[in-house]
Amino acid sequence: MLTGPECNLDDNSLCLLPEGMGIRAIREIDRNPAPLQYSCSAPTAFIWRTTAAGRAVFERLKVLFIIFLFCGNRATSAADVPVPQGTAAEHRIYFGTDIVPVLTKLGCNGGGCHGKATGQNGFKISLFGFEPDVDYAALVHESRGRRLLPADPERSLLLLKATARMPHGGGRRLEESSDDYRILCDWIAQGATAPRNDDPRLERIELSPREQVLKTNSSQQLRVVAFFSNGTSRDVTRQTVYQSNETAIATIDADGLVKTDSHHGLVAVMARFGEQIATFHAAVPFVADEQKLAEVQRQLDQLERKIGEAPVDRLMLRQWRSMGIVPSEPADDATFVRRVTIDICGTLPTSEEVQSYLTDTHTDKRAKLIDRLLERPEYASYFALKWADILQNRGAGYSTGKQRAGTKLFSGWIRDSLAANKPYDQFVSEILTASGSQNENPPAIWYRTVRKSPEYVESVAQAFLGVRIQCAQCHHHPTESWSQADYFGLAAVFARVGRKGGFADAEVPTDEIIFLKERGEVVHPRTGESLRPRPLGGKEFSLGSHDDPRTSLAHWMTKPDNPYFARTMVNRMWAHFLGRGIVHPIDDARSTNPPSNPELFDALSRDFIASGYDLKQLVRSIAGSYAYGLESAPHAGNAGDTQTFSRFIPRRLTAEVLLDGISQALDVPTEFPGVTPGTRAIDLPDENVAAHFLDVFGRPARMSACECERADAPALTQALELVNSAEIQRKLSAPTGASQQLVARFKSNTELANELFLRVLSRSPRPEELKTAVDFLQSEPDRVEACRSLLWSLLATNEFLFNH
Amino acid sequence: MLLFDGSTFQNCSGTTRRNFLQLGAPLLGLGLADLLRMESRAAETGRATSHKSLIVFWTDGGLSQQDSYDVKPEAPSEYRGSFRPISTNVPGIVLGEQLERHANVMDSMSLVRSVHHENGIHAPSAHWMQTGYFGPTLARNAAQKPSFGSVISKSLGTRQAPMPAYVTIPKSEAFGYQGAVYLGKAYNPFEVAADPNAPDFKVPNLSLPGGLTARSVDSRRALLKSFDTLRRDIDETGTMEGLDTFKRQALEMVTGDRMRTAFDLSLEDPKLRDEYGRHRYGQSALLARRLVEAGARCVNINTGNWDHHNDVAKGLEQHLPPLDRAIATLVQDLKARGQLDDVIIYCVGEFGRTPRMNGHAGRDHWSDCFSVMLAGGGLKGGRIVGASEKWGGGVQERLVTPLDLLATIYQALGISLDIHYNDVSGRPTSIVGGGRPIQELL
Repeated sequence: MLTGPECNLDDNSLCLLPEGMGIRAIREIDRNPAPLQYSCSAPTAFIWRTTAAGRAVFERLKVLFIIFLFCGNRATSAADVPVPQGTAAEHRIYFGTDIVPVLTKLGCNGGGCHGKATGQNGFKISLFGFEPDVDYAALVHESRGRRLLPADPERSLLLLKATARMPHGGGRRLEESSDDYRILCDWIAQGATAPRNDDPRLERIELSPREQVLKTNSSQQLRVVAFFSNGTSRDVTRQTVYQSNETAIATIDADGLVKTDSHHGLVAVMARFGEQIATFHAAVPFVADEQKLAEVQRQLDQLERKIGEAPVDRLMLRQWRSMGIVPSEPADDATFVRRVTIDICGTLPTSEEVQSYLTDTHTDKRAKLIDRLLERPEYASYFALKWADILQNRGAGYSTGKQRAGTKLFSGWIRDSLAANKPYDQFVSEILTASGSQNENPPAIWYRTVRKSPEYVESVAQAFLGVRIQCAQCHHHPTESWSQADYFGLAAVFARVGRKGGFADAEVPTDEIIFLKERGEVVHPRTGESLRPRPLGGKEFSLGSHDDPRTSLAHWMTKPDNPYFARTMVNRMWAHFLGRGIVHPIDDARSTNPPSNPELFDALSRDFIASGYDLKQLVRSIAGSYAYGLESAPHAGNAGDTQTFSRFIPRRLTAEVLLDGISQALDVPTEFPGVTPGTRAIDLPDENVAAHFLDVFGRPARMSACECERADAPALTQALELVNSAEIQRKLSAPTGASQQLVARFKSNTELANELFLRVLSRSPRPEELKTAVDFLQSEPDRVEACRSLLWSLLATNEFLFNH
Repeated sequence: MLLFDGSTFQNCSGTTRRNFLQLGAPLLGLGLADLLRMESRAAETGRATSHKSLIVFWTDGGLSQQDSYDVKPEAPSEYRGSFRPISTNVPGIVLGEQLERHANVMDSMSLVRSVHHENGIHAPSAHWMQTGYFGPTLARNAAQKPSFGSVISKSLGTRQAPMPAYVTIPKSEAFGYQGAVYLGKAYNPFEVAADPNAPDFKVPNLSLPGGLTARSVDSRRALLKSFDTLRRDIDETGTMEGLDTFKRQALEMVTGDRMRTAFDLSLEDPKLRDEYGRHRYGQSALLARRLVEAGARCVNINTGNWDHHNDVAKGLEQHLPPLDRAIATLVQDLKARGQLDDVIIYCVGEFGRTPRMNGHAGRDHWSDCFSVMLAGGGLKGGRIVGASEKWGGGVQERLVTPLDLLATIYQALGISLDIHYNDVSGRPTSIVGGGRPIQELL
């Protein structure tokens, strides 16, 4: 972007761009500009003068032009523009579309201030202004009407507080010289007109530009125009609330000016005015310099010849090209075999598996390995563990052991479904529409933990549709168009879920029968209106009295044109393997949280649907992709990239995989109470089997359908568990454990050291490591104890703790 | 939300502790890595961002207010109970006779006699008093909100690594509600897991497991250093950096002197140890003081069980005198060291007990109106907040909610009441909800 000269304009004066741009002049810049030639930003500064009466009026304003050049680039220029006097007061002020947005913009109705359920200091208005009637009553009628003073507007409590002329816990939010102040003042002076049914309604907003390629350390002014039901429109750039989803890459100020600094990447900025939202997309490429760009393209050309025709790989490459990124080198075989065995089977490869893979000379050995792993029982176990988290197959939180029954049945059913590669649409339909005895039809056990309206809605939305709709239970969603009607319409799908048997009166029964009740309704909490079952963002289901609305929901979800269902699963699996979703976080799909690579996302989702929702096929295409096989180490060409999968994103082994890995490396199983001896952590029936290690390393309590509950945040107790726990010491010193066996098996210290590295880190030691290990083994009087110390120290390395 | 309100402590980089927390809000996208970096920067400068700490005596099971902090000498015997009232060094304030040492330091303590919530079952009530919020029920009892100790741990951090910010003695109780829940495992309490009064008192987590010698640990540490060479720049989430920090800290805890010293009660004058009382409560209180000196922010001593449905007098004769001694000596000791203004002492349980005794000379659960004690940390002493009805029962005046109590404590500790932490669903959740600090004590 080019910054042109600043110039002062009269109404008809011309502003010329720097010479050599070859383009045109601009005039009359505060009128609606001709599209595609230039556009004019919202004011970025106001120039005021004070009248004799002491009132400030604005005289001129400063704008940024955005000039669209013939070559497709843009330039900006700044100018001061005279403003015709008297415009503000001439227009009739509407509460809903003029006043509430000011309260929102100033933050008055935010969740931390007067918008929270309890209000603040006795003044409560609706969260984010979604209920103007409530707000009007609070401002005008409550507190004996002392908040507004039409006779002397500027002495209204509202304005005295907001400008901090009277003590205000929220500080000074409003300048007396601002037009927000002016409009509040004028509205009060006009008699604080109440909202009426025939007031113009906000119909839509237009954000411009919609997308842009930006350089580092540059800026881009956004402009928002609101269109109303009475046919009028106006610039609401300064009344719009903005939020950038990657503040490291670009920030946006309250006036809609996007600024980049030295970071590169993709960014989306949400703009919200009233209940309308729009999103601005920007890309800040890694390379701007022409010469460097040519070099990057040359390297990517080479890569293109190497990677073949797989659509996933071509689409990744396309994004790397557009962002000027050169991906890392492919990972070596030892890293890959460990990585993919952990990601598909939740299990470390044995030293034999590593060695046989390293010596395999077939060119398709990666694909063959993936196929083999998918047929192992650990594949089903590991993904069943993931699904048991998402489906909240919870054992804890129930006061008797009897109530816990069923978790094992459900986890077994999930495991069997995955092992048989049951199509994903069928898997979900069987859960959603489950009826009958929980003992005989295990998917009905989902209804054991998920039992109330909020739980139905939030679990379905988050687990299967990748949507976080929680906010809409109590108020309009702040960053998406979901309303309370969407929320309770989905709740109505489950209104007729009936339960009998077990302890029907207890809060948590043992074995229930799930059936379709004759009736059941859900009412809108604010309007009291009874809501008919309907899917998110869809039309009401047409239902006969014997039709189960859940079946309609399952049909709606699993139709090929469903915008959420297949994409959510694709994104979930992509994030499982690549460490980050194409939409990130994975269960937060919103128009304001766009996918980082939309074409890739579309292609994968299309393929998944076309394959008949074949989960193993999905794993093959993701784990077999070029990106999945890359090194985790960044290099100069992609340092700082976290969004385009140009290198493998390492992550700590999850609690169960870590514990099983330690047990396998030390050849001593973990003793879990109440389960068959030898059971591995990934095979436990539920999360309530006591295991301090698992809790410390972030085993989730299965309180929600969010995978984010499984935390990998580091904690001191984890480090203590690794360096100083009786459990690891027990496994290290067990007479039947690895140290004793290996010392007996390997007489040569070199061979012993090699085996220790293979078994823990899935690779051979580097020369200097080998020397350290062999020297240590030689210097210690007790070879078994020395072996234990080596194992301990290898198990405590980040290389072991992470999949990298 | 998360307003900058000016009253902050600054470190030399010009960033305030409160800024960290606010910047940590998801809206502004500061990740764990940044937070850890800032933590370590704050640690490097060696300057505390708030110098205050909290020591809690949690009366698990529910202490009888009418035999301790809110006696009713004028009431009929079935309300009055079997203990006499005694006067204190604050004219007009009367306590139960077993709080005789409290009576000498009453001018440093204040009582809130009008705490109220609406549950009479141990576990849900414990959640309410530990977190400020009602949530779990008896049947569906999983924790929903973080305990105040975890909130303090997250909001202030430790004053001095490797001492953990939040410690429970001997271990966590309150029906499982002393944890961090959605704040993250890093803010769970560190459990001492041993009785400080035991002759061979040793903290299991700081002691080497059986069969492991200090020499082995040293060689393991050296080996780890040479093998732990995976490039750190491959991880941008801060997890690896965090684990590195914690691994060093854990090894230092196990092999270094600082933690061992903090936990070594034999370094105290035996006479002072006697003064605290040679019992679990007394030695726990002394240990808490040492841990706070070494950097802990919230030390929670779990006492009881106080669930005296039968023969409340007998139960109190066993538990109350040692608690009296522990708390009163702690107040005196901190005062003598000039630290009383830096440490809040808080005595609280999940509820109180019925004003009228039952047929077994016991008292049952009572949450309509009960008492808590607050001292130190700059809070005013010698005050009574609120009152119960004539013979106990309901709140007579100045109802105080569990969140009011937390707001009071957070404010006194220098924690902004505007802080919101995201729950599991990503919803920003206030640490004090509708709670308001008790102005009479601030």
